[in-house]
Amino acid sequence: MGYGPLGHNHDEMLFADGQIRPHWRDFTHGLDELGPEEFQNRWMESRQIIRENGITYNVYGDPRGLDRPWQLDPIPFIISPEEYEYLGKGLTQRACLLEAILADIYGPQLLLKNGWLPPEIVFANPGFLRPCHGISLSGRRHLHLTAFDVGRGADGNLWILGDRTQAPSGAGYALENRIVLSRMLPELFRQCKVERLAMFFRNLRDTVRALAPNNRDNPRTVLLSPGPYNETYFEHAYLARYLGFTLAEGGDLTVRDQHLYLKLLDGLVPVDVVWRRLDDDFCDPLELRPDSFLGIPGLVQAVRAGNVVVANPLGSGWAESPALIPYLPGLCQHLLGEPLRIPSVASYWCGDAPSLQHVLAKFDTMVIKGAFPTMRLEPVFPARLSSVDRQKLMDRVMANPHRFVGQEILNLSTTPTMTEKGLEPRHVLCRMYLGAHGTSFEMMPGGLTRITPSPETMVVSLQSGGGSKDTWVLSKGPVNEFTMLKPNARAMELSRAGNDIPSRAADNLFWLGRYVERAEGMVRLLRGVLVRLTEKSGLADVPELPTLLRAITHLTQTFPGFLGEGSESRLINPTAELMELVFQPDYVNGFAFLIRSIQRTASSVRDRISMDMWRILSHLPPEKPANTKGRTSLSELLDMLNHRVITLAGFGGITMESMTRGHGWRFLDMGRKIEGAFHMVKLVKSTLAQSVAGEVPLLESLLEIADCSMTYRRRYLGGVQMAPVLDLLLVDENNPRSLGFQLLALHDAIKRLPVDPNASGRSPEHSLVLAMLAQVQLADVENLAYVDAGGQRPCLKEFLDQIEKDIPSLSEAISHHYLSHLQTSRQLAGVPGGTA
Amino acid sequence: MIYQVRHITSYHYLEPVSMCHNLLHLRPRICRDQRCIQTRVQVEPMPRQVHEHQDYFGNPVSAFSIQNPHKVMTIVAEHLVERKQSEGQDVPDMPWEQAREILRSDKSPHNLEAYQFTFPSRYVPLGEELAQYACESFQPGRPMIQAALELNQRIFQEFKYDPQATTISTPIRDVLANRKGVCQDFAHLMIGCLRSVGLAARYVSGYLLTTPPPGKEKLVGADATHAWLSAYLPGHGWVDFDPTNNLVPSDKHITLAWGRDYDDISPIKGVILGGGSHSMKVEVTMTPSSLHSEETPSVS
Repeated sequence: MGYGPLGHNHDEMLFADGQIRPHWRDFTHGLDELGPEEFQNRWMESRQIIRENGITYNVYGDPRGLDRPWQLDPIPFIISPEEYEYLGKGLTQRACLLEAILADIYGPQLLLKNGWLPPEIVFANPGFLRPCHGISLSGRRHLHLTAFDVGRGADGNLWILGDRTQAPSGAGYALENRIVLSRMLPELFRQCKVERLAMFFRNLRDTVRALAPNNRDNPRTVLLSPGPYNETYFEHAYLARYLGFTLAEGGDLTVRDQHLYLKLLDGLVPVDVVWRRLDDDFCDPLELRPDSFLGIPGLVQAVRAGNVVVANPLGSGWAESPALIPYLPGLCQHLLGEPLRIPSVASYWCGDAPSLQHVLAKFDTMVIKGAFPTMRLEPVFPARLSSVDRQKLMDRVMANPHRFVGQEILNLSTTPTMTEKGLEPRHVLCRMYLGAHGTSFEMMPGGLTRITPSPETMVVSLQSGGGSKDTWVLSKGPVNEFTMLKPNARAMELSRAGNDIPSRAADNLFWLGRYVERAEGMVRLLRGVLVRLTEKSGLADVPELPTLLRAITHLTQTFPGFLGEGSESRLINPTAELMELVFQPDYVNGFAFLIRSIQRTASSVRDRISMDMWRILSHLPPEKPANTKGRTSLSELLDMLNHRVITLAGFGGITMESMTRGHGWRFLDMGRKIEGAFHMVKLVKSTLAQSVAGEVPLLESLLEIADCSMTYRRRYLGGVQMAPVLDLLLVDENNPRSLGFQLLALHDAIKRLPVDPNASGRSPEHSLVLAMLAQVQLADVENLAYVDAGGQRPCLKEFLDQIEKDIPSLSEAISHHYLSHLQTSRQLAGVPGGTA
Repeated sequence: MIYQVRHITSYHYLEPVSMCHNLLHLRPRICRDQRCIQTRVQVEPMPRQVHEHQDYFGNPVSAFSIQNPHKVMTIVAEHLVERKQSEGQDVPDMPWEQAREILRSDKSPHNLEAYQFTFPSRYVPLGEELAQYACESFQPGRPMIQAALELNQRIFQEFKYDPQATTISTPIRDVLANRKGVCQDFAHLMIGCLRSVGLAARYVSGYLLTTPPPGKEKLVGADATHAWLSAYLPGHGWVDFDPTNNLVPSDKHITLAWGRDYDDISPIKGVILGGGSHSMKVEVTMTPSSLHSEETPSVS
C-alpha cells in the first residue's frame, strides 16, 4: 500500500510496528481486491457526483465565493464497535451533564450560589442570555441535538476538544459523505458491516416534531437558516429536504400575538417547532441582539408564552464556553454522582489565578482561546507568533484573564488519506452527534471526520482548506437496513399539498426564471452573431452584422460596447469585446456574470430545485476550451454557445415536465415570460425601429435568433417581408417565442395567483397585463411596418416603447402584491434615557 | 411624598409602519423607599394584548405588538408613586479595596447578585482611560462612598451638560474625551469608572422632579425622564448617585428600572417594519400629589 505514518503520532490504521489494526483489516483487504485502477476510476465518478450534486461549503473570503465544492476524501475513517460503545457511553454522559448545567444556570443557579462554578463564567459571559433565564421548557429537554469534537492523542487515548450545544453543524455533510461513499464502494461497505445512519435521522426528526406544543398530530417544523451566505447553507437545504422540514430564513417568519407564523404567498400559517441553525443571540433583534437582521422580532416572547418551541433552546450556546471545561469533572461528580468518563483536552481558565500562572508559564505549548463562545475569537498559537505579537497577546490575557482559556495542544493521531502522491497521513478530528432520545441520548453511528490539509498543521478547519471523510462505525451483529430514502412501509395519508411556498422562495424563483430566460435570449443572439462571423468572410458579406452587434449592447445594457465612442473599430473587429462579454465574470450583465446570478439565486432556493435541475445549472458556466495557443477561437466559442443553448433548453424542459404546478412553478414561469416579453420587445426595437437598406438578411437573422425560421418558411412560401415577420414575432399567440404568447401566459398565471377574498375588482397586475395583451391583440402589423420619410418606423417604435415601459411596471406590481412583506425590520430610535 | 407622573411618548412616521414589536420598561418597580400606588400604560393604536412579565433584574416589562398599518404611535404611562425620603443611614466607611475583595470572594445571595454589575456591558465597555479617570478619586485606602461622592462631583463639575453633543450611541470614551453629554452619558461614565476599579454599579432609569425658575409657573411636560446610577457597598447595600446634578438621590427621584446599562432597561425598545424616517417626542409631567401618604388607600 506504500502508506507510512509519521512515526511519533498514533496512527489510526497501523500499529507502531506497521501491522494493520484489526478493525481496518476488512477494509484494506477489500481495497486490495478492488485494485488501485478501479478505485481511481470510481473516485473520478464520485467527484463528478459531488460537483453535479452541488455539495458545497462556503468559504469566507474565497475568490470563488459561494459554493466551493465539498472536499471529501475517499478513504473512510473507521471506528471499531468497542470504541464506538466507549464513545457512546462517555458522550451521552457529557450531554446529560451539560444539560443539567444548563438547566441550573437558566434556572435556580445553585451552582453559582454554592460555589461549584465561578460567577464570571455566567455573569461576564455574553453567551448567557438574561432574557432566556427562567423560560419554562414545560418538561422538554435542554439539548435536542448536540455534538462533540473528539480527537486521539499520541498515547492512543481519546480526548474531547470542543462542545457544540446550540446548533451543531455538519450532520448533513456526514450524511452526504455517506451517500457518496456507499455508492462508490458498495461491496466494501457491505463487507465491513458499516452501521447505517438513517435510523438516527428518523429518530431525530421524530424527536424534533414531538416538541410541538400545539398541532401535535401534524406539527409544522421549520429549519431556521441564516441564509445562502452562511458557510453551511448547503447542509441546511439538504437536511430540510431530507427531514421534511420547511427551510426558512428570519424574514420568512413573523410573530403575531405571541405566535410564530410562516409567511406564505397566500397568507400566514402557524409554526410549532423551530429547528435552528442560527446562533442564539441572532434569533431575536428585539430582545437579544439589536443589530441582527437574521432573526425574528418577538421570537423570545413567543417562546416565553409557550406557543413555539425552539431547538436547541435559546441560550444553550452558553454551554459551549471553553471556560466551563476545567469545571466539568467536579460538576459531573456533583450533579451525576459519577466521574467524567472521557476527559477534555487539558484546559485552563485564566480567570482562576493559579491557572493563569500555569498558562503564562507554559505559554508556547498552549493554544489560547476566547473563554466565551460569542467572543468569536479565532484560536491563537503563541509559539507561532512574533515576539512582539506574543507579548501583546500575553498583555491582553493579563488585562482580562477571565476572557481567556489556555488549552494544551493535542498531538492528534493520523489516518490514511488519498493525495496526489498516494496514501498519506493526515491529522484527524471527528465530530460525533447525539440526539435526545427518551430521557437519554442516542449517538449517531457515524460522524463528520475532518482532516488537516497537511501533516505539518494540527488545525482542523474546513475554512482553512482541510477535507472531510465518511465515518464508518463497524457493527458487531447484523446491520439495520432501514433507509429514509425509500418509501415508508407505513400507510401514508395522501396529500396534494406542498404548495405552501414562502414569499421569499417565490421571489427567488421569479428571479431565477428571469435570469434563465435572459441568459437564453443572450446566448441565442450571440450565437446568431457568431454564426455570421465565422461562416462569412467579412462585413461586406454580412450587412446585418453591425445592427446585430448593436442589438447585443442594447439588450445586455453593456454600454458603450458596440455603441458610442470607439464603437467603429469594435464593429469591424468585434472578437475581443465578444470574448469579454462571454467570459469575463466581472463584466456586469455579461454572460459569465449572468450565470453567476443564476447560480446564486438557485442556491438560495436549493430546497425547491430538484437534483436534475441543479445538475443542468452546474453545466452553464462558460468554459474556455483549452487549445494549444491558449486562445479561444470564434468557432470554439460558437461550439460552446451551442451547448449552452441546449442546456438552457433542458432547464426549460425539466421545469415544464417535472415541476408541480404550484405557486413556486408559477413564479418561476412568470419570471421567464416577463423576461421573454422584454427580450422580444428590445430585440425588435433595437433592430427594426429604424429601417435600413437591404433588410431581408436582417429579418432572416431575426427569425433565426428567435427560433422562428421554420415556422415562417412553412407559412410563407415567398420571400421574407417585414409585416409577416412582425406578426410572427409580436402578435401571433401560437408562436411560443412571440410577445403575444408571453403576455397571454402571464395573464393566465396572474389569474391563478391567490387573491385576497376581501379585495374587490382586478388587481393592478391583472389590469396591466390585460391592457398590454389588448394592445398586442389589436395591433395592425401593416401599420407597424410603415416607414416614414426619415426612414423611421414611428408606429412600431411607439408601440414597443409603450410595452417596454409597461413590463417593469407589471413586474413591480406582482412584487408589490405578493412579495412586499419581505421588508427588513429595523430598530425604533431609542428613547433617550433621560432628557434632564 | 406622593407624585403623579404622566409620561407621553409619541412616534410620527413618514410612511405607514406595517408591524411593530415593542418592549416597555415604563412601570415603576418596587424598591426600598418607593411604593407604586397606581400605574397604567396605554398605547394608541390599541394593541390586541399587552403582556406583562418581569425581566432578569426584576423590573416589570410590558410587551405588545401592533399589527395594523399606522403612522402615529402614542404611549401614555401614568403613575401614582409614593417616594419616601431615603433615610440618612450611617454608611460604613469601608475602604473601596475591601469592597472589591468582598465582591470577588463572598457568595452570599446579595453579593452574588451585585457581582454581575462589575463586568463590562454593551454601553459600558471598560478601558484604561476610565480607570485613570476613576483613580484620581479612588486613592488607596479611601472609603468607597467618599470616593464615589467625589467622582460624582467631579463629573458634575468637569463635564458640560449638552443635549446636542451626544446621541444614544455615543461611546463613553468619546464622552470622556469631549467632556460633554447628558444624564445617560454621565451615568454610563460613572458606572464605567466604578467597574474599572472592580466595583459593582448599575444603571437606573426614572424621573426627576424639576423646579421652575423663580417666579415662573411650572410648564406641563417640562419634567424629564432621567438616568443615574447605583453603587454597591458590601454589607450595606446599594447607594444612588446622580452625577448630572451632583446629588445623592432622595425624595425627588422616582425609579422605573435598573440594569447593567441603558440597553437592559431602555424605556421603549422596538423593531418596526416600514415607516420611512420617523420623529419622536417625549413629554413628562411630574407633580407632587395633594394626597398625603397617610391618606392614600394602600393599593399597590
